[in-house]
Amino acid sequence: MAPSITLERVTYRYAPGTAPALSDLTISLPGGTCCAILGPTGSGKSTLVQLLAGILAKHHPESVGEGSLTIGDHRYTPLPNDILFPDVGLALQDPYVQISGIRETTRKEIELTLETLGRDLVNEGGNIERLMHQLGITHLAARKPTTLSGGETQRVALATILIANPDVLLLDEPATALDYGAQANLKLILQSLRGAATVLFTDTHIDLPLEVADYFVVLKAGRVQFEGNRKQFLEHLPDFADLLPVEAWGKVLSALKGDPQSPFVRRIVQAVGLL
Amino acid sequence: MKLSEQFTKETSGAAIPFIAFCIALNLTVGQVTSALKIPIYLDSIGTVLTAVLVGPLAAATAGALSNLLASAMGSPTMAFFVPVSLVIGLFSGILARRGWFKQWYLVVLGGALQGVLAAVCSAPISAYLFSGVMMAGTDFLVLYFRSVGNTIMESVFYQGLASDPVDKIITYLIVFLLMRNLPRRLTGRFAGAANIPSRSA
Amino acid sequence: MVPDLRPKLAFVLFLSVCAFAFDWQILLPLIALVLLFPLALPSYHPASDRARHLFFRFILFSIAISGAIIVLNGWILQTGERVEILPGIPLFSDGLLFGVRTAARLLLLSFSVLLFFSSTPIPTCINALQQSGLPRTVVLMLLLTLHFLDSLPERINRIFMAQEARGAPVRAGFISRTKAFFSILSPLLLSSIAESVDRGVALELRGFLLEMAPSAKPALPAQPLSPLTILLLAASFFILVISIARWLLP
Repeated sequence: MAPSITLERVTYRYAPGTAPALSDLTISLPGGTCCAILGPTGSGKSTLVQLLAGILAKHHPESVGEGSLTIGDHRYTPLPNDILFPDVGLALQDPYVQISGIRETTRKEIELTLETLGRDLVNEGGNIERLMHQLGITHLAARKPTTLSGGETQRVALATILIANPDVLLLDEPATALDYGAQANLKLILQSLRGAATVLFTDTHIDLPLEVADYFVVLKAGRVQFEGNRKQFLEHLPDFADLLPVEAWGKVLSALKGDPQSPFVRRIVQAVGLL
Repeated sequence: MKLSEQFTKETSGAAIPFIAFCIALNLTVGQVTSALKIPIYLDSIGTVLTAVLVGPLAAATAGALSNLLASAMGSPTMAFFVPVSLVIGLFSGILARRGWFKQWYLVVLGGALQGVLAAVCSAPISAYLFSGVMMAGTDFLVLYFRSVGNTIMESVFYQGLASDPVDKIITYLIVFLLMRNLPRRLTGRFAGAANIPSRSA
Repeated sequence: MVPDLRPKLAFVLFLSVCAFAFDWQILLPLIALVLLFPLALPSYHPASDRARHLFFRFILFSIAISGAIIVLNGWILQTGERVEILPGIPLFSDGLLFGVRTAARLLLLSFSVLLFFSSTPIPTCINALQQSGLPRTVVLMLLLTLHFLDSLPERINRIFMAQEARGAPVRAGFISRTKAFFSILSPLLLSSIAESVDRGVALELRGFLLEMAPSAKPALPAQPLSPLTILLLAASFFILVISIARWLLP
C-alpha cells in the first residue's frame, strides 16, 4: 500500500534562466519507510517536498521542471502541476498557519478535511477517535484550535492531513518549531506511522533523523550528496558531516548506541570537529 | 461565463485569506486611526488594497462583504450602501489594471475621481432612503446645505463632494505608499502583481 | 440543522417596506413593537451577551440622536409655524415634522436590521447562505474574515507597542503621528500578506480548492416556505404595490 517514490533526473528552476533549485536529481525511496531529507538551508529540501506534493506549479507559474516522478504506480511526466492530495499530504513548517481558523473545536477542525473531501462523517467517526488517540490529542477535542501550544498545534495539523489517509506523508522541517518535549512526541508519531504510509521529512540537523529515519538523502545546492539506508548513512557520515549540524549531542550519541562500536562513533565525532 | 471565470482567476490560493484580511482591515482600521487620534475614516482601504493586488471583482466582493459585516456588527445602515462599495471596488480595480497606481499623480487623480463617483453613488441612497439623515457627523453639513435652499438630493451630494474625494485621495495615496515597499517575492503570486508600483515610482 | 432564517428575513423586508410606505404615526408603534420582540419571542433573543449589549446601546444612542436630529431640523429649516418647545430656541413645525418623519423611518430600518443580526449569530448566517448556494470561496472568505477580526486587534496592539518602544512618534504632533500610522500599517500589511500566502498554501494542501466529486455534493432539498414567510412576503408585496400606485397616481 505504501508506495515507493522515485525521481529520475529531476531539474527544477523557479524561473527560466535562473540557477536550478534541484539539479538532475535521481533518488529512489523505498515504500513504507521513514525517509529523512537532509541538507543546509537552500539545498532544495523544501522545493523537493513541495514538488512531491504538487504545490509548486500553480504558485510559481514561470517555473520550469524536467524529469519524471513516480509515486507507486503513477508516473508523472511532466512533473505534476496540481496537488496530489489526498494521496500525498504535506504538513508545512509553521503549524499555526495550517489551522483554518474557521472551526470552533479541534474535532471539528479535523472533520473539516473530511467535509472538504466529501467523505461521510458518520462512517469516519471511529477513524477520527483512533487518529486523535494515536497522536495523543484526544484531550484537546473540544478545545479551540487557535489556543493550543506549538507542539499541540502541530499534532492537530498532522491529524487534519492524516484523516484523509494519504499514502505519502511529507513534513517540511517538523522539528524546527518545537521544544524538546514536543520533539520527543514527534519521534513517537513518526515511528508509529511507518508501514502505513511512506513518510518523508526534511531537517537541517541530524538529531531527529538519526532517531527515527530508515532511509537518508543528503542534498547540497540542489544536488544529491548521499542516498542510502541507515547503515550506509552512518558509514559515509564523515564525508558530509560539515553539512549537518547537531543540536543535541546527547541524543545523537544515544541514537548511535548499540549500532556501531566506539571507534566508529569517534570517527564521526572527529569529523564534525568535536575532537 | 466570463465574469465567474474572472472571479475564479482572481480568487485563487493566497487571494482568499488576503481578501479576508482586507475585509477585516476595513472594519478594524478605525482602531488604529483613533488610537493615533487621526481624524479620517479610511474604511475602504482594504477594498482598494484588494483592487490593486488582486483585481476588480475581488475588490467589489471585499467591499460588499465589508458593508454587510459592518451591518451585522453594529452599524445597520451600512448594508444599504453595498452598491457604493461595489462601485468603489470595481472602479479601483479597473484603474489599477490600467496602471493608475504606478504614478503618484495618477493616484491622486484616481482618488479624486473615485471620490466624486462615490459621492454620486451614495447620494441617491442617502437622499431617497434616509432623506439625508444618517445619524452621523455629516448630517450637520447636509443640514447646512439644506438651510441655504438646496433640495435634499443636492445637499447630500454637496456633502459627499466635500468629504469623499478627500477621503479617497488619502486612501489611494496610503495604498500607493504601502504597496511600493512590498517585496516582489511575496506579491508575485497575486493576480494583480503587475499593478503594483515599483520602488522608484 | 441550520434554522430557517427566511421568516426573519421576510419580517425585515416587511418592516423595510413599511418604513417607506407609511408615515410616522404608524411607524412609531411599529418601532415600539420591534423593540418588544427580543423580550417576547425566543427566536429574537439576542444571541449573546455582547449582542444584547450592542443592541441596547445602539437603541439608546439612536433615540438620543433622533431627538437631536429632530430639534436640529426644526431649528435650521425655518419654514412653517413657530413652535415653542424649548425655551428661547425658535423651532419650526415643518422642520420638526420632517425630522420626526425621517427619524422614524431611519429608526425602523436600522432597528429591523439590528434585530435580525443581534438574534442571529454571524456563523449561522454564513451557514444558511452556504446552504442556499453561496460559492465556497466566498463562504471561506467570510469565515476567515471572522477569524482575522478576532486576531487583528491584538496584532495591531502588538505592532503599536513595538513601534512605540522603538521610538515611533505615536503621541507627538499631527505630522509625526501620520508617520507613525505608516510604521504600524506597513508591517501589518507585510506580515498579513506573508501569512495569507502561507494560509493559502495550507488551505490548498487540505484540498479546499479541489473540485468535489459530484456524488459528494450535499443535496439541497428545496424546503417549502413556511406560512408565516408567505404571509409576510405577500403583505410586503401588497403594501409596495399600493404605495407605488399612490405615488404614480396623484
